[in-house]
Amino acid sequence: MRPLSPGVRLGALALTCIVIVLIALITSGANPAQVLTTLLTDSFRSPTAFADTLKRFCPYMILGVAVFWALRAGLFNIGVEGQFLMGGMTGTVVALQAGGMGGVLLGAAAGMVAGAAWALPAAWIRAYRGGHEVISTIMLNMIAFQLSNHLVSGPIMDPDAGFPTTRTLGPQDMLSGVPVGQITVNWALVIAFGLVMGFGWWLRKTVAGYELSVVGANPTAGSFAGIDVKRTTFAALLASGALAGFGGGLQAVAFEGRFYMGFSTGYGFDALGVAILAGGNPIGIIPSAFAYGLLQQGALAVQTLHVPPGIATLILSLLVVLFSAIRYGKVRHSNG
Amino acid sequence: MSIVALEGITQRFGDFVALDNVSLHVRKGDLHAVVGENGAGKTTLMRILYGALTPSEGRVIVQGQERHYRSSREAIADRIGMVSQHYAIIPELTCLQNLMLGAEPGAFMNLRQCEDRANVLAEQMGFTFDWHARAETLGPAGAQKLEILKLLWRDAEIMILDEPTAMLSPRDADALFESLRKLASQGATVILVTHRLPEVIEYCQRVTVLRGGKLIDDQDVQDLAKAQLAELIVGHALTAFEERELPQGETALNVQNLVVRGDRGNDAVKSASFQVRKGELVGLAGVDGNGQKELFHALMGTRGFTGLANLNGEDLSGRTTRDRLAAGVRIIAEDRHAEALVEEWSLSDNAVLGFQRLPSFRVGAGINEATKAERTRQFIAKFNTKCTSAGQAIGSLSGGNQQRFIAARALGENPSLVLAFQPARGLDIDATRAVYQGLRDACSQGAGALIVSFDLDELLEFCDRILVINGGVVSAPHQKERAEIGQLMVGAI
Repeated sequence: MRPLSPGVRLGALALTCIVIVLIALITSGANPAQVLTTLLTDSFRSPTAFADTLKRFCPYMILGVAVFWALRAGLFNIGVEGQFLMGGMTGTVVALQAGGMGGVLLGAAAGMVAGAAWALPAAWIRAYRGGHEVISTIMLNMIAFQLSNHLVSGPIMDPDAGFPTTRTLGPQDMLSGVPVGQITVNWALVIAFGLVMGFGWWLRKTVAGYELSVVGANPTAGSFAGIDVKRTTFAALLASGALAGFGGGLQAVAFEGRFYMGFSTGYGFDALGVAILAGGNPIGIIPSAFAYGLLQQGALAVQTLHVPPGIATLILSLLVVLFSAIRYGKVRHSNG
Repeated sequence: MSIVALEGITQRFGDFVALDNVSLHVRKGDLHAVVGENGAGKTTLMRILYGALTPSEGRVIVQGQERHYRSSREAIADRIGMVSQHYAIIPELTCLQNLMLGAEPGAFMNLRQCEDRANVLAEQMGFTFDWHARAETLGPAGAQKLEILKLLWRDAEIMILDEPTAMLSPRDADALFESLRKLASQGATVILVTHRLPEVIEYCQRVTVLRGGKLIDDQDVQDLAKAQLAELIVGHALTAFEERELPQGETALNVQNLVVRGDRGNDAVKSASFQVRKGELVGLAGVDGNGQKELFHALMGTRGFTGLANLNGEDLSGRTTRDRLAAGVRIIAEDRHAEALVEEWSLSDNAVLGFQRLPSFRVGAGINEATKAERTRQFIAKFNTKCTSAGQAIGSLSGGNQQRFIAARALGENPSLVLAFQPARGLDIDATRAVYQGLRDACSQGAGALIVSFDLDELLEFCDRILVINGGVVSAPHQKERAEIGQLMVGAI
């Protein structure tokens, strides 16, 4: 039998995805059109809703870069969630101690160090002992959950609070923003944009970025081209962890102002999708991260229509499947 | 009368015409060679005879009857068998299981009877096999013999062999042709696809020449010289690659008592000692898997070694691959997909590979885009790589064009030592000469070249001096002479 043409196959896949979403909506008893409208437009309902979307947009961009960085070296850093948590917790504690603008800077820096430290075992095991990074980073995630839950329920918990949280940073101890119309655009967003653009430039234009991509695309050819594959692998996972931790620290000093149980709503896991949805170009992280922020914000609103918020995850996951199919199809095609 | 007649065969793939009105007549009992460049249509023609392809136009006549094969199964039922260039042997199965694979006598087998028949067939050919040994224990020559017995097991009388000697030492190749002659004398017919012209001249009765999908010539071999045949294949006059005075430059590469550990923990290279002078093309003859790969990897720095290896007086041990690249060591790697290219990337991105840390390719932390574009253009032009643009994915080029690009890259940026593993792999006669001429030119600028090929005739034609590697031992023949080298290659001296 002749294989179907790539266009037909992708069309069939897209149709299947739409049908799955419709089935999910219909079985939940909701009006599909209403749910989809709410999902897509809730962010624009009010300035507060849009501010909440931006609050998600920022970590999605930074963590998207973190995942993309490792992915380019051929590594799946599933550990960004744990690295983000450790960065957020460490950043909060440092910012609370230091206070002021210095506290903001130190907090973000401490988050970066904590994230890198959390990626270090996985990076070392992968590069120099050959243990798979997916396994080790998943295990490190579990340790990060338990450790942060434990610390925030005891040693660093605000004794006056009724639930596991640290004390809260005052407005003067947090990163501010610039007002644009009715909303405030936090400087953290500017930093996140800068990170995406800077990473895109680094990857495309520098020797180090080139070598990273070679290692991800064909490590054997890389070693014949004089690239230290082990060192590049090690550095890539470490950098990915540092960025994820930085994202956590920044989230604390820019948006949250504290660390608490549930600090991350699964940003690190969503970021895997952000990076894949971005396609081959790092700049694609921006629209992809925005789509994630938008749909996750909308997911909160659809609960009022008695639809589980998981619908957003379902849609995003199917989008990732669809995009992976398009990308994989492209690669196969170019190979002849 | 012809046992096989292909008449007026045309084969189109989309707009591409692979075969254009080609006819082939094969006499019973002949060794009939089909020769031509890569892409001339030899394999396509054979696949049509074997039923793997249905021709767009033309007639297939076997034993006087017109046939319309819809699959190889029907051709096999007509006693046609084919051994493709890549052996279809499953290493985990025993030799007997491989022999019967796909042609088992029935759902219930009497293994003793099967083995008896296998022995009869082997005896008839003068082969001996341990039928219960796993096929992975076979060398290339043994695997080739097993493939031929597989044809006999299927009662094939018309045998198509695609490049059967590509992986064999000269001695094994000679033995193979003796067996084929014997088969022919017993009534079989052998159709041979090959690019090795000496074996056509020596063993075949008739030869068909294809070029660019067209039939060029069809004649008896006895009144044909090798040079004539080569000119028929390329379509223009060829001047011999002139033998020259042995270059007497300083030593570029000096290797003493070099030992390289193989993947299985054995010594893949055993205490090798040799020199390569500046200006010199040194061929390393040997059958595949005798330590050539490990030697190259050790010299390139992707594998450790003990002993001494000096390049222009500087010790290579302890130097990284990056240092060696900076010192001018270049490799045309054995496996271009795995070791030499990122296939999904453009030609220009692949042009940088290996040079990315050289000062000429850098500006600050970045890659010098001007140099990159310029070198890409040079590498494409050097051996005439056919591509639509420098931005085309290199994986979408044909193997031969990829090889041209890789060879040009290895000769770029002032090489001091070129390690060339089958530099002419997949290249036609003209391109092969161009690449060897390029190697000579690079060497006359002060480089030395060490060249591995499994085709001894290629090394004899193009190299100044020949070394032989067998079982990891490097030895030097007294003279650049085929018989002695052939014996050294199988350890017969």
